[in-house]
Amino acid sequence: MAVNKTAQGGGVIVLSIIVAALLTLIPLPDQVRLFRPEFVGLVLIYWTMATPHHIGISFSWCVGLLMDVMLGGTLGLLAFSYALIVYLVLQFHLQIRQYPMWQQALSVFTLVLLLQLLFVITESHGAGWRFWLPALSSMLIWPVMYTVLRSVRHTFHVR
Amino acid sequence: MNFFSPVRSVLSTIVYPIQTAASFPSDASKWMGEFFHDRKQLKEKNTQLEAINLSNSIRLQTLDDLERENMRLRELLGSSFRLHERVKVAEILAIDLDPFSQQVVIDKGERYGIFVGQPVLDATGVMGQVKQVSQFSSQVVLLTNPSHGIPVQVNRNGLRAVVTGRGLGKPLQLEHLPQNSDIRVGDLLVTSGLGGRFPVGYPVGRVMSVDSSSGQTFSDIKVEPAAKLATSREVLLVIAADSVEEIIRPELAGGDE
Repeated sequence: MAVNKTAQGGGVIVLSIIVAALLTLIPLPDQVRLFRPEFVGLVLIYWTMATPHHIGISFSWCVGLLMDVMLGGTLGLLAFSYALIVYLVLQFHLQIRQYPMWQQALSVFTLVLLLQLLFVITESHGAGWRFWLPALSSMLIWPVMYTVLRSVRHTFHVR
Repeated sequence: MNFFSPVRSVLSTIVYPIQTAASFPSDASKWMGEFFHDRKQLKEKNTQLEAINLSNSIRLQTLDDLERENMRLRELLGSSFRLHERVKVAEILAIDLDPFSQQVVIDKGERYGIFVGQPVLDATGVMGQVKQVSQFSSQVVLLTNPSHGIPVQVNRNGLRAVVTGRGLGKPLQLEHLPQNSDIRVGDLLVTSGLGGRFPVGYPVGRVMSVDSSSGQTFSDIKVEPAAKLATSREVLLVIAADSVEEIIRPELAGGDE
């Protein structure tokens, strides 16, 4: 029974990551596409925070590698970024869980900013200030993501 | 330096279903739109296309003639010239990649004979080149990618230069032309074929502005891409004919056909 539950939990997590990947790829109008939040990063952050024993650094590394291929970026860049983010969340998950929502959102902002910083360091594209918009939108959408994913977690009893 | 090319190819084949799924909503809406076109609209479009077709075929007749003549003259001069490229048609998947990387995914891959470095065109000009192929899809780098350069020449006087990308929402840049070079606003730039990657003579863009302020070594020349990089759905992949020798000999021998 316990084994079954864990398997189900894993399935729900993988499914939510696939949905996040779809949201990352779906074409948006030009005005809003620059605001697209880092959906996969947010989902990883949530699951790491809520169920740290389900998400490992190697798992998030694999997710990042697939995202790299999907988005056509440098192979391994998102893999490293996600692994780093998940590592940090694993270290601090007990504190982050206790934070009020706005403080959690600020932590998310910092983490996504870190991810983007890695991009700027390794890739040279003339992006300008608009490059940083996803960090902002990720922070703003975090309360929604949190509520949705928590209800998913409770519905499917992922512990 | 392409140790990871096969890895990436395998992984892209794995993620292809997700990419297709993401492009489904806009594909579906396009399909619905086509399905519910009313008769009148279709008729109008048909008449329009027929008119375009007529004018194109008239121009094609004269072009055929000129092409032959050009080939014969080049044959006399003893120079080889690539012409008569064959093309494959592919469709761009309706998905958004990283907006700053200026890439697109097309729905044809290794199975259709797509290869890395293959030039990609749309109906109006050069779009870019294939960067990565997997079984069912390939990634195309657009001209606007900051790490992409393409050898061009000015159609008016044959001046050669390189056009590079400048990233999202910015025009292309014509690099390293001295202040006194003969270039004007409105000049058409076509591929020069130097470097052997792009075929000769396809439009790349038009010069938008030439800024030769004193104190700079090179002029600052902005170029508007000829291809509709943001709106094209269908693209053409060029298969270069090896050289004119292979084509021209049978044609000359066979006379007019």
